[in-house]
Amino acid sequence: MASRKKSPPALPDGPGSSPATSPPFDQLYRDHVDVMYRFAYRLCGEAEAAKDLVQETFLNAYRAYDRFRGDARVSTWLYAIASHACQRMRRKRKGEPERELSLTEFVPTSEGEFALQIPMEGLSPQQALENKELREILDRAIAKLPRKYRMVLVLRDMEGLSAKEVGNILGLSERAIKSRLHRARLFVRKELSGKGLAEEFHRDVATVDR
Amino acid sequence: MADRVRTYPGTRKPTPHQGHRKRNCVKVLERLSAYLDDELSGEICQEIRAHLGDCPNCEIFLDSLRQTVRLCQHRPSPSLSEKDRAALRREILKAAATV
Repeated sequence: MASRKKSPPALPDGPGSSPATSPPFDQLYRDHVDVMYRFAYRLCGEAEAAKDLVQETFLNAYRAYDRFRGDARVSTWLYAIASHACQRMRRKRKGEPERELSLTEFVPTSEGEFALQIPMEGLSPQQALENKELREILDRAIAKLPRKYRMVLVLRDMEGLSAKEVGNILGLSERAIKSRLHRARLFVRKELSGKGLAEEFHRDVATVDR
Repeated sequence: MADRVRTYPGTRKPTPHQGHRKRNCVKVLERLSAYLDDELSGEICQEIRAHLGDCPNCEIFLDSLRQTVRLCQHRPSPSLSEKDRAALRREILKAAATV
């Protein structure tokens, strides 16, 4: 009960009204399903799990709709429901250990690790991302992040929300969000600066070219 | 603090990774996201800039972090097809009606 103030609206398990009596649902769905799918895909990394998460999110939103007070933006409310649903679904699937990331593990220890080992010279991020290998390497790095860090990176750097908004969604202080974001970025950076990456990248490109 | 920024007495060319074991480099590394997101005071920014000017490895590191953030920001995500959007809606309403 103590957490009630910070949490998103409680999700009642009790008897809900029938879909037919809830016209706002369709508008809610129409207006937000694309954003929620994008968010879910970024968190899950694949389409089927993303669809499950979207379904769970809107189902929970539907059930809790009456309790939505409107003191947050609808999208913030939905992001919060999706984040909670994602945590629950993952816990159910497997006991994914929540590793803490410490800053010291991101201090480079050899010369090759300061720069990224992927070809980006003279390219805008959009141009660089046209490369399939690069997209896969980036996705793999994000997927390797412990969940609580991935959640913050996705909400801040991919969904483009402010630290304050992400704090409201996850029930954390702005300071905690910034700290997690920094570690998440350093983690992904380290993955993209891995020593073997350049060889792997060029080998893949050579294979594709052939 | 400014006089402690120079961490390589005797040479302008640092040995690559040794510099990062120094306290100033780690202190700068701790603040690089805040620096990129423009969340630091002018004074701290100035300290960081002074350090970056003097430490090529930190400068390269900052560049690589900036590139990483930009890649994340611009990573496109697939969208739902019309068919999937409609199918999902049906599933949700069906589940909502049965509970």
